[in-house]
Amino acid sequence: MQGRVSDECSNSAHNQSRVIRSAGTASKALQALTSAAIVLPGLMLSPAQADDGGRINFQFSRYQEGKRDLFGTPNNFDPIRADVLHGNGLFPLTDRAKFSFSYTQDTWSGATPITTSPLAANPYQSILANTPSGTTVVGASPLIFPRGLLLDRNLNPLGRNPDGTLAQDTRSVLVLASASPETRHQANFGLGYEWDEAAINASAGFSLENDYRSSFGNLGGRLDFNQKLTTVKFGAGYTSSNISAILDHDSSPYLTKTAFAKQIENRGGSEILHGERQDWSANLGLTQVLNKHALIDANFGYTHSQGFLENPYKAMTVIFVDPDILNNGQTTPVPGDVRALLEQRPGQRNQFAFNTKYIQHINFFDAALHLDYKFTADDWGIKTHTFDASWVQPLPFGWMFTPRIRYYSQDSASFYNPYLISQQNFSRQAFDSLGREVWVDSLNPNNEYFRDANFNLVDGAGNPVNEATLLVEPKTVAFDPGQLPNNFSSDHRLAGFGALSGGFTLNKQLAKGIALEAGFEYYTRASAFKLGGGGGNGFADFDYYVANAALKLNLESMSLTKPAGGMHHGHHHGHTEAHGSTDHRHRHTQPAGLMYAHMLDKPGQFMVGYRFMYSHQDGKMHHGTRAVSDQVVVNQGCTDENLCRFTPSYMNMRMHMLDLMYAPTRWLNLMVMPTFMDMDMNLRELDGRPPRAPGVHEHTGIVGHSTGVIGDTLMAALLKLYGKRGHRLHASLGLSAPSGKTDIELRRVARADGGAIHFGMQLGSGTWDFVPSLTYTGEHDRWSWGMQVSGIKRMEKQNDSGYRLGDAFQATAWSGLDLSRWLTASVRGVYTAQDHIHGDFNMFNARTGPMDFPRSYGGQFWNIGVGVNVNVPGGRFAGNHLGFEWLQPVHTDVNGFQLVPKGALAASWSYTF
Amino acid sequence: MKLKQLFLFGFAGLIFLMLSGCANVAAWERGYLAKPQMAVEPNPLQHHIQLHNYFSREAAASTHSADGGGGCGCY
Repeated sequence: MQGRVSDECSNSAHNQSRVIRSAGTASKALQALTSAAIVLPGLMLSPAQADDGGRINFQFSRYQEGKRDLFGTPNNFDPIRADVLHGNGLFPLTDRAKFSFSYTQDTWSGATPITTSPLAANPYQSILANTPSGTTVVGASPLIFPRGLLLDRNLNPLGRNPDGTLAQDTRSVLVLASASPETRHQANFGLGYEWDEAAINASAGFSLENDYRSSFGNLGGRLDFNQKLTTVKFGAGYTSSNISAILDHDSSPYLTKTAFAKQIENRGGSEILHGERQDWSANLGLTQVLNKHALIDANFGYTHSQGFLENPYKAMTVIFVDPDILNNGQTTPVPGDVRALLEQRPGQRNQFAFNTKYIQHINFFDAALHLDYKFTADDWGIKTHTFDASWVQPLPFGWMFTPRIRYYSQDSASFYNPYLISQQNFSRQAFDSLGREVWVDSLNPNNEYFRDANFNLVDGAGNPVNEATLLVEPKTVAFDPGQLPNNFSSDHRLAGFGALSGGFTLNKQLAKGIALEAGFEYYTRASAFKLGGGGGNGFADFDYYVANAALKLNLESMSLTKPAGGMHHGHHHGHTEAHGSTDHRHRHTQPAGLMYAHMLDKPGQFMVGYRFMYSHQDGKMHHGTRAVSDQVVVNQGCTDENLCRFTPSYMNMRMHMLDLMYAPTRWLNLMVMPTFMDMDMNLRELDGRPPRAPGVHEHTGIVGHSTGVIGDTLMAALLKLYGKRGHRLHASLGLSAPSGKTDIELRRVARADGGAIHFGMQLGSGTWDFVPSLTYTGEHDRWSWGMQVSGIKRMEKQNDSGYRLGDAFQATAWSGLDLSRWLTASVRGVYTAQDHIHGDFNMFNARTGPMDFPRSYGGQFWNIGVGVNVNVPGGRFAGNHLGFEWLQPVHTDVNGFQLVPKGALAASWSYTF
Repeated sequence: MKLKQLFLFGFAGLIFLMLSGCANVAAWERGYLAKPQMAVEPNPLQHHIQLHNYFSREAAASTHSADGGGGCGCY
C-alpha cells in the first residue's frame, strides 16, 4: 500500500523531468518549468497528484532466511522462505479522479521458532536413520516438553559435560517447528481526487490467510501551501482482524492453554484458537522545500491496537520448581518441570513513530543523498532507532543505481524473557482443610473421596465407599497463574537487538514507458548490535536476503510513442497499409482462455499483458466418466496392499502470467511468459477407509494445503504463415522451461516426514517441454471465428523428482460477434486430452489416496466457453484490451480416480503500443 | 547521555535547516527538485517490500500505518 502511494509520486516526478529535458525552445522550456512548478512538490507525495495517464507494476520478490544456530543440534529445518507476487495499477478516470488497486500474494514455508528453552533442557530429540554404515543422526525433532532438566540452587540450568558431570549452562536455544507452505492474499482498492493545491484519497482492502483475516479502510489527503513549497499530509486508518489459528497437532498436547481456554474451539479433532483485534492509526506529515537543492520530509504516526495481540503460534517456556525441594536446606541439584504456555501479551498497545528525511541534490554527480532517521516508542517498553542512508545515482542510458545502508536498534519489551522460572509446582496433590489427600472419581470429578488410616476409600462423612465401582485418582491442583507475570513472551522480535542491512536497487528505463527494476538486500540481526549494549539473546540471531525484480509500465509514456493516428487504435492496426483497405482490421477478439492466438502486425510493436486463470474442482470422485462411492475409491484407488484412506475434497488453482510480446518483423513475434501460480486443496477421510494405525499421524483435513508461487516459464516464436483479407494462419513454436518446483514437501510431523506433496500441487512439470500450436483466424463484417490445435510434448524422460507429466493435445474452435465497436462476444468448444503421469516420486510420498498415484492424472475433457472481449478504440484507455471467458465442462473422462473440474475462469488484459 | 546529545544536535540541525530553508524557491528554480532521484521515495516498489520485511521481523511502529494493510506476519 505504501509502495503504491509513493510509487505514483516518483514516476510523475520523472515525467516532469523528462518534459523539462526534452523542451527544445526557450518558450517550451519556460512552459515546462512552469508546469513543473505548479505540481511541485506535492507530486512527490501523494497518489492523487500523479499527473499522467496511469501505470501498472508487476513485481516478484524472494525473502530467504539463513539457518538458525541451534548450538550443535543437527539442524535439518529448512529456513523460512517467502515468495511475494505483487501487482498494482493506477488509472485516471477523469483529469482529477484516479482509481488504484494493488494485489499481493505471499507464500511462505520453513521453520519458525515456537518457543525458547534452556539448552540444558535438551529440547531436541535426535532423528535417526538406518544407512549402510549403521544408524546415523539425520536431524532433530523439537520437544517443547523436555524432561530431566536440573537446576542449581540459584536456579541456573545445569548442563551435562561429556564426562557426565553437571555444570552451569545458561545458554538458551530456539525451539523450531517447520510449516507446510501457506499463502496470503491481499487486495486493496482506492479512489483519489485532486484539486490544484489539495488532494484526497480513500481506499479499502482485505488480507486473507487460512488463520488470519483482516479488512481495512483508510482516508488520507494533502494540502499545499506557500506556493507549494510546503505540503501537509494526513491520514487515518482502521484495520479489523479475525484470528482462527489452528494449533499444531504435534505441539498442542504439550502446550498449556488454560489462559485461552474460552477462545479455543474443538473441531474435527483440531483445536482452533479464536481472537479478534482492532487497529486505529493516524498520520501527520510535512514536506518542506528548503532550497533549490534540498527538501525535508517529516512524519508522525500513532497506532492504537487492542484485542488479541498475541502471536497464536508462540509459547513461553516456564520451568516450574517445587518450592519444598528448593528450600529443603540441601545443596543437590533441583529438578525443573519444563512446560510451555501460550504467550500472553497485553490487550492493548499504543505506538508512536516519528521520522524525518533529508534529501540533498549533489550537483557534481547529479545524484541525490537521502538521510532518514526514525524513532518509535510504545507502551510495551520498546523504543527503536533507525538510521537509513541512500545515494540515488542516475547513470547514462536510462540507468539509475541506488546503494543503501540501514542500521536499526530496538529495546526489549518489558515482558520479554527467553524463559521463566516459577517457584511452584505445575500441578500438585490437592488437600482438604483437614490436611487429607483428596481423591476424585475420574468419571464424576465433582465427587471427592478420602483415605482412612487403612487406605480405604471413604466419602466426606467418613462412610466407606466401594472402590471397585469407581475410577478414583488423586485430585490435582494446577499452578497458580497469579504467581506468573501478567504478560510474557519469548518471541525474539520483542527482544532487544540491533540489525545492519545494506543493498542496492538498479533501475533501467527502456523505451516506450517500460522500466525494469531489480534489487537486493542483505540483513543481519544481532543481539550485540543493540544501541547501548548487547541484548543478551544472541541465540536468536539470524540473517536474511531479499531479491526482487519488477516490470513497471507507464501507460501514458507508452501511448505517447505511438504514431499519430495510431494513438487511438491500439488494436486496429490490421493490414491497413499492406492492403490499402480501410475497413479491414485485426482486433484482439480471441477468447481470453486461448493462448498463442494473437499476433502483432507491425514491426517494432510491443504488447504487455497479464493473464489470470482460475479453476476449481470439488464434489464426488470420478472414475472414467462416472461418479464413484468412497468404498470403490478405498478399494481400487490405491494399491491392494495399501488401501486409500483419504481423497481430495476440493482443489483451487490460480495462475498469474505476464505476457510480453515483441514483433521484430511482420511475420515473426517473440513472446515470453513468466508464470506464477498458487494452489490450495483439502483432503477428507474416505468412508470405509482402513483403520488408523496406532501412533501414526494423519492429516485430518481441517486446514488444507497450499503451494506457490513460481511456475514454469513459457517462451514462444509465432510465425505468420498466411495472411489475406479476412483469413490468417500462424504457427507457434514454444518451449516451457522448468522454473516451477516439483519437490515441494509437506511439513514433518513429529518424527515422520510429510513427504512430497501430491503431483497436482507441485508447481511445474520439471521437464523442458515443447509446446507447438497452429492457429487459423478469420473475420468478416461483424463476425470473427477461428480454430487452433496445440500440444505439449515432454522432452525429458523424467524430472528431478523422478516422474514426468503426461503429454497433452488440445483442439478448439470458436466464433465471435461484435456487439458494438468495442465489445465482442464469443462462444467456443474445447477438447483436451492428457496422458497420465509416467514414473513416480523418487522421494518419500505418503500415498494416502488416489492423488498420490501417477495413473490418476490426465483424461479427456470437453468444455464450452463463453466470453467477452473489450477493445478500447479511443479515449483515455485507448490501446487496452480486456477479455473474460468462462469454461464450463460438459463431458469429462478422467484417468484413474479424480475430482472433476467444475469450471474455469480466464481473464486477460493487454496493451499494445 | 551520548544519545541525548546526538538528538539535541540533530534537532538543532533540523530547526536550522527549516529556518534557513524557508527562503523562497521560485517556480523556475525547481528543476533539481523535480528530478526522479529527488523524490521522497525514489524506489517505491522495493520500499514496499522492505517495509513488509521489517514489519515481520522488528517491533517498530510505522509512520505510515494509516496507509493500511493487514496480515499476521506470523512467521
